[in-house]
Order: sequence, then C-alpha cells, then structure tokens
Amino acid sequence: MRLLLWAERQKLRRSKIVWIAVFATVMAAVIVFAQGQFSYSGEKYISGAEWFMTAAQSLGTFFVLPAVIALLGGYMICREEQEDTLKSLKIIPINEMRLTFAKMIMTLFYSVFIYLLLFIITLLVEVALHYEDLTFEIIGRFLKMYLLNGVCVFLAISPIIALTARLKKSYWLSLVFTEIYSFAGLFASTLGSLRAFYPIVAVFNLSGYYNATPGEMVISAASLLACVAAASFILITDVVKKRIITLHKIISCE
Amino acid sequence: MVKLIHIEFLKLRRRKLVWLMLLAALFMPVLGVFYFTDMGKVIEAMTFYKWAAFSYTQWIILPVVLGILCTMLMYEENRNNTLAQLWIVPISKLKLFISKLAIILIYSLCFMAITAIISLLCAVSISCAKFSLDSSLFLFGKCLEVGILAAFSMLPILAVATAGKGYILPICVALIYAFLGFILLMINMYLHPLSSMSAIVSRDIPGVVLNQALNIPVAFLCIALWGVASVIFANTALKARM
Repeated sequence: MRLLLWAERQKLRRSKIVWIAVFATVMAAVIVFAQGQFSYSGEKYISGAEWFMTAAQSLGTFFVLPAVIALLGGYMICREEQEDTLKSLKIIPINEMRLTFAKMIMTLFYSVFIYLLLFIITLLVEVALHYEDLTFEIIGRFLKMYLLNGVCVFLAISPIIALTARLKKSYWLSLVFTEIYSFAGLFASTLGSLRAFYPIVAVFNLSGYYNATPGEMVISAASLLACVAAASFILITDVVKKRIITLHKIISCE
Repeated sequence: MVKLIHIEFLKLRRRKLVWLMLLAALFMPVLGVFYFTDMGKVIEAMTFYKWAAFSYTQWIILPVVLGILCTMLMYEENRNNTLAQLWIVPISKLKLFISKLAIILIYSLCFMAITAIISLLCAVSISCAKFSLDSSLFLFGKCLEVGILAAFSMLPILAVATAGKGYILPICVALIYAFLGFILLMINMYLHPLSSMSAIVSRDIPGVVLNQALNIPVAFLCIALWGVASVIFANTALKARM
C-alpha cells in the first residue's frame, strides 16, 4: 500500500491539478474576502473578528471545495483509463481494489490539505486585521474545524468518487452531481432537526461549525458512516462484478 | 455557419450527459415546492417564480452547468484530436468559436425554458395565489432573457476552455467564476458579466431590491467588454495552437 501511495504522489507531482486546486482554494478565499467588503448597518462584515475564518469554510464548502475535491479524486481514478495505463498496471499485477483504495486515501489527503490551506490563508488575513482579538484558543478551535471539515467533506463525497471509479468516464457527471449535492446543503441546513441527516450539513455538525446537540452529532456521524458504507459497497461490488466477468471469460475459453 | 452549428449538434447528440445536465433545471422549482409546502402559507405566483427561476438558478446552477458544457465542447475536440482535422478542411477559427457559442446559447435557452415550464407546473401544483397569464408570460420572458444573457456571460469560460487542452483548469475557473459572480452581486454588479446579467434581469422583477443603483447600459457594457476580450483571446489562442 505504501508503494501505491508513493506512486500516486509521484504521478500527481508531474500534474498541474494540485496547483489548480490550490488556485481554486486561494480564489475562494479572495472571493469570500470580497464579500467581507459588504456593509451591514454601516459596518463591513470583514471588520468583525473571526468573520472571515467562519465565512470562508461555509461558503467554500457550499459552493466550491467539494466539487474541486471530487474533480481531483475523479481525475486520479479516470486518468488510468484515459491514458491507457490501467492495462500496464494490471500486467504488473496490481490489485485494482488496492489501487482505487490508494487513490481514495490520496484524495482524503488532498481534501485535508485544501482545507488546511484555506485555514492558513484565513488565519493570515485575520492576524493582519484583528491581531489583538485572536487568541490561541480561537486559532485552535478553527484549526480543529477546518481539519475535520477536510476529513468529513471527503467522507461525504466518497460515494460520488466511488461511482466515478466504477463508471470511469463519468467524471463530468460526478462534478455536476457534487456541485448540486454541496449546494443543496445550503437549503438542507434550514431543515431543523432533519438537517443532521444531510451529509454536507453533517460535516458542519461534526466539525463544530454548527452548535449541534449530542443527538444531532450521532445522526451526523451515522450519515457520514452511511456515505462510507455506500462508497465501499460501490467499490466492492464493482470488483466482484469484474472478477465474475473474468471467470466467465476463462470458462468460455476453456 | 448553420452547417457548423448543425454538426455541433450532431456531436452532442451522442453525449448523454449533456441531456442529463438539463435535469439541474428542476432543482430550484422542485425544492421550492417542498419549501413552500412546509411553510404552510399560500404564496403568490411571483414569489414562487423568484425562488424557482430568478435566484440560484441564474446565479449558480445555470453558470456552473454552462461552464461544464463549455469545457466539454472544447475538451472533446482536443481529446479526439478533431481540431487538427477541422483546420485542414479548413474552418475559420472564429467561426468554430461562434458555433460553440451558438450551442451554448441554444442550450442555455433550453435550460431556462425547462425551468420556466417546471416552475409554472410547480406553481400550479402548490396552488399559488395571483396565478395569471400575465405572470406566466412574465416568467417566460424573463427566462428567455436569462437564457440569452447567461450564454454571452459565459464567453470568458469558453475562451479559457479554448485556450487550454485539459478540462481541470476550465472547470475550476468556471466554479470560481460562478461563485465570484454571485458574491459580486452584493458588492459591485458591474465588474462581472454574471452579476451584470442579474442586474439587467432584476430591473423589473417586483420586490427585488439591489444594493447598487441600477444602470442597465453599464451592465450591458460589462458583458460586451468581457465578451469581446474573450473572443479576441480565444481567436489568438486557437491561432497560436497551429
């Protein structure tokens, strides 16, 4: 597994996609900063301490970041098929299930990386604007939120990435679906007690962005576990299906 | 030119996802049915239309869908290496770009037509008050406006997709572009084509209060400037590729 992860990292090193994801994250922060210039009751949003760190994670998650992470995961999986390297990998032989699993771990890593980058950008801006209002407790609280957001967003979108792995050429569809899925979280967050079921809202419940009750936390954790179970089911059934097809081919040849 | 557009359509005919993406037009109207039914109040048809067709559909959903379509149209040409063959025919680079724009325009109109029809049906299903022929015609007229303006507002994304060979950068730029347009609507509407489009569309929608004074010529100028710059950029990029 370590070798597979190393190989994935090497492949991404040559690709521009990580830089593009960094660009998208930086731009998302810039746009939220622009929104901070909006005045309400004569005071700009950005003048409030912690506003930028709070708004960047929610707006970024509802509008941009899950789609970028799904794109990254989908790209890593689909490129083997597109660049026709999957055959060579199978000849080595490499277990396709383990390969996909390695790619999922890399996507999780990049999901955390993207949120960490967003945290650093927002923290630097907050330090520049409200240095006196910041404490280590606040910084630690937000760091925990962003890290958990990174992990939980990956878990929430893992079924979509798994579906991309199964259908191979459906990265467009996965992108559209992820964007609508994350954007729908904006409305799901108004659903009262039912909101904890929606995975994107569950992310915020678990990270501490929303003040969730223990019951809501349990429902949110169950919702994300259901996402992981769905992703595992999609990946495992795909592998089983492929093995059955191969077995049939071997039997028919004999 | 008509032949080029026809060929573009023939290419799209085989792509199921393009047709599947039209389902995104149902999102806000259907969500509106649940939202207003849950509220338990009788609302006016215009209030429902504002939710279903004149809010997030034009601010986020349509721009993202069109952004993906722009990327898909250009990426498929690169992936199948058909651009080289098109240059041999030869086909003018500008004409090719305009034919792609025509596809975006037709698709955008279809998307908004579906939004209008579904919004109308949803408004009937939840028995909205003040439902009239006038309000229905207003809805269709506005959707037509959004359909046309959105296609031209997406020219920068089509230009970015034309300049590159991959799909990752244009997609990320499209996401950022849609998000920026939505946020700038509250700050300065005349910097971004999508927020300018929203300003133009909102000019006579009852009950819509904008943060800035409405200036329709400046909004059109913004869309036109970005559009012209995009066409020049795309034409130069296509020529440079030869």
